[in-house]
Amino acid sequence: MSKDEPKSWTPEQAAAYAAVYGLSPPPDKAELERLCAMGERVAATARSIARMPFKSDEPASVFKVPLQK
Amino acid sequence: MTALGEQLSLTSLSAIEAGRLIAARKITPVELVEALVARVESVDDKLRSYITLMADTALEAARKAEIEIAAGRWRGPLHGVPYGVKDNYHVKGVRTTAGSRLMWDYVADETSTLIERLEAAGAILLGKMNTWEYGTGTGEILEDLPFPLARNPWNVEHFTGGSSTGVGVGVAAGTALFGLGSDTGGSIRLPAAATGVVGMKATYGLVSRAGCLPNCWSLDVTGPLTWTVEDSAVILETIAGADPRDPQSAGVPAGSYRQGLGSGVRGLVIGVIRDFGKNAPALAPDVAANLEAAEKALAKAGARLVTLALPAPLSTYRSVSSVINWGESYSIHEKDFQERRHLMGKALRDKMTAGFMLRAADFIAAQRQRRPLVAATDAAMRTCDAVLTPCTFGTAPRFGNQEALIEFTMHAATSIFNLSGHPAISVPTGFDAQGLPTSAQVAGRYFDEATVYRVAKVIEDALFDASRRPAI
Repeated sequence: MSKDEPKSWTPEQAAAYAAVYGLSPPPDKAELERLCAMGERVAATARSIARMPFKSDEPASVFKVPLQK
Repeated sequence: MTALGEQLSLTSLSAIEAGRLIAARKITPVELVEALVARVESVDDKLRSYITLMADTALEAARKAEIEIAAGRWRGPLHGVPYGVKDNYHVKGVRTTAGSRLMWDYVADETSTLIERLEAAGAILLGKMNTWEYGTGTGEILEDLPFPLARNPWNVEHFTGGSSTGVGVGVAAGTALFGLGSDTGGSIRLPAAATGVVGMKATYGLVSRAGCLPNCWSLDVTGPLTWTVEDSAVILETIAGADPRDPQSAGVPAGSYRQGLGSGVRGLVIGVIRDFGKNAPALAPDVAANLEAAEKALAKAGARLVTLALPAPLSTYRSVSSVINWGESYSIHEKDFQERRHLMGKALRDKMTAGFMLRAADFIAAQRQRRPLVAATDAAMRTCDAVLTPCTFGTAPRFGNQEALIEFTMHAATSIFNLSGHPAISVPTGFDAQGLPTSAQVAGRYFDEATVYRVAKVIEDALFDASRRPAI
């Protein structure tokens, strides 16, 4: 894999990530594999979304007042 | 006529037909509820349209409706008409399972606004209907949920579409005269397409989501599945409109949708979207043929059809929607994932995992992309009075063909209008060579459900035989 290609999640990384974010009980081997696979899929989908060119391009969800309860 | 024949004729009525017969005192609400309960008992071991049948409370409501109508207190066209709701709608004191072990024991402490409005209109809630877990799925069928799969009444070996599985099945098979579903990426329109009924996803914010388990706040729309376009229009008039309980309520009143149904489409400009970009699935021949028949019917009725270009490939709408859905859905159900994910089916667990693995920057990137994409879509929509597209690219696949099930669900043209917020309806256009329903999707300008219904009605009048029901 070249240095420009996105790297894949490893089970160790997925385990560490899960521990940082408090996933309990800790994922077993099968779940770690699934975390890696879904992590890949999510990252690939996110990379496919074009980034907006200007800093002033706001998200669709920006806060607006009055905010309904 | 035999008792079974009478039962079948009552359960084959549209909601409005039933309402007219009740108002004319030709049938009673009790007879109707009894016929539907008998129908459920007769077919639902095969179809599994219901999770919780509320026969006793429905009969009590039916008796009350009879007394009111006899006393001259008729509430309107839905008075005494039984319906079902996807089991993600809350009814106070009644179990809401959302198709999940996570909510196995959950009893709601509130009633959804839509159910309250239908109750005020005199409609009778018959029960909570089958759904994918938390309204979530890719189409992949693993039978890892606590309730048996719903089955397509046109052929029980075939898919129902989802996630409002039970409502689509029930309306087609006559176990409910209409139903309420919810739609985040197609979950009203996909089961409508699979089961040959009408499924309306109105403009985002027109119909309250209060009291319905959220799936993705930015995309969720609640709405009806019905046998006919007229039914859908009347029900939408009843349920739509501002609701202070829903923070995303658009604050506009319900429109008048039924009145203009017979206006036809003469003079309307209808944009036809044919190109969905690279990697879009091919349209199945029968779906394409029936879509062409819909176009011809509209042209014959005086509409001008023009080709409309989508501002981005279908895949872009799907990617942006997926990222937003993953992020928000994870936030909604984070506690469930953190503490009880072992109780989830694979589809929900995978979706929660996706949200868990998603970076904030990517979620915001999707929201930033959403704004110009929606603006461009709206600009395209504004060049026409309405838009015609396929709903699904094929008909309901056979169970067991996972690839086809996923393709039917994930590669439909529905997510365009969830992301953009425009109203969009799935309307039947006939059948394929195997006897499975085909469909088209009609979309419109924001809050112009009236025109969407007018176009759908012309298609329905030309291509839909309301007397043809599944032979189950």
